[in-house]
Amino acid sequence: MNEWLERLSQLPQQWFDSPVAAIALTLGAYFFGIRLFKLMHRPTWCPPMLIAALLIAAVIALLPIGIDDYNRGAGWLMLLLGPATVALAVPLYQQLPQIRALWKPIMLTLPLSATLAACYAVIIAAAMGAPAEVLASLAPKSVTSPIALGLAEELGGSRALLMGALLTTGVTAIFGVEWLSRALRIRDPRLIGLALGINGHALGTVRAFEISSVAGAFASLGMSLTGAFTAIVLPLVWHLFA
Amino acid sequence: MSVLRGFLWLLVFLLLGQATVELFHLPMPSGVIGMLLLTIFFGYRGGMNPDVVHVSQPLIAMLALLIMPGVVEIFFVAGQFADQWIAIVTALIAGTLLSVLSSLLLMRRYLPTSDTPGNPGDE
Repeated sequence: MNEWLERLSQLPQQWFDSPVAAIALTLGAYFFGIRLFKLMHRPTWCPPMLIAALLIAAVIALLPIGIDDYNRGAGWLMLLLGPATVALAVPLYQQLPQIRALWKPIMLTLPLSATLAACYAVIIAAAMGAPAEVLASLAPKSVTSPIALGLAEELGGSRALLMGALLTTGVTAIFGVEWLSRALRIRDPRLIGLALGINGHALGTVRAFEISSVAGAFASLGMSLTGAFTAIVLPLVWHLFA
Repeated sequence: MSVLRGFLWLLVFLLLGQATVELFHLPMPSGVIGMLLLTIFFGYRGGMNPDVVHVSQPLIAMLALLIMPGVVEIFFVAGQFADQWIAIVTALIAGTLLSVLSSLLLMRRYLPTSDTPGNPGDE
């Protein structure tokens, strides 16, 4: 009996030796998050992803496994992130005529928007006395995570803090775009999509696809252009001041 | 089969993206470059490959799921920055709301308004 219990207690560790358990946990938490999100009448401040991430964190904390065990398995699932990003070419191509018509105004407004997205947070944090390491982790907060991680590393920021900043920014941007576009009576899906992509990176883009395919395509455009612009300009500006 | 063929297309363009990143030392992820290359390729051919269209729909719907695992880690390192959290949270929330407001105002000012709310591109 004792031996059996011992074997049972080793089960979680053995499960997480292969990626299967981590993938199953992620999928399970995802569907749980969506269901709870619907039961809570779709609150904009709490996307299903946040619920799911909290649930996964709770399960990891309760089981005798570490975050590293989970990350190792979930990495297999995240392999799909690359092809999924490439797949965004389909909505982007579908909206190409619309984007071509708006080429000039987008090129005029986007660099300024992307700069402001980084500046506001860095200025507020600096004014409140945050050290350089924290500022470096906050500066790329509106950029899609693969680019942002590289940037934070280059500026000397913390990877973990940046992931937290990305989550907070994404959730706030989704909430902010929905709230402020209603307040400003903006209904143009192109504009809402761009605002979601520029400020809310991939989280905002996912939300934009839920609104419409036009909003989604413009969000992917805003996300990629913000990423490209910030990746080139931020390190230059940063080393100018630091 | 169509889905698998489409998936192969995506993988090939991901690899092409990676090659471009490595060759030109671009500070961008391979996926984003692959996406731009595939868009340019569709534009060059004057149409989309139906296999890629098939596989892209479920993959884009999965994006939220694919971002999630990266988010989990924060809950395990939050303690490191405990003495800074008021500045961090204020900067993130106020900064993001401000930047959303300014980009919405900027775009509304400079983007020509669309003729109809339901654009023909919305199928």
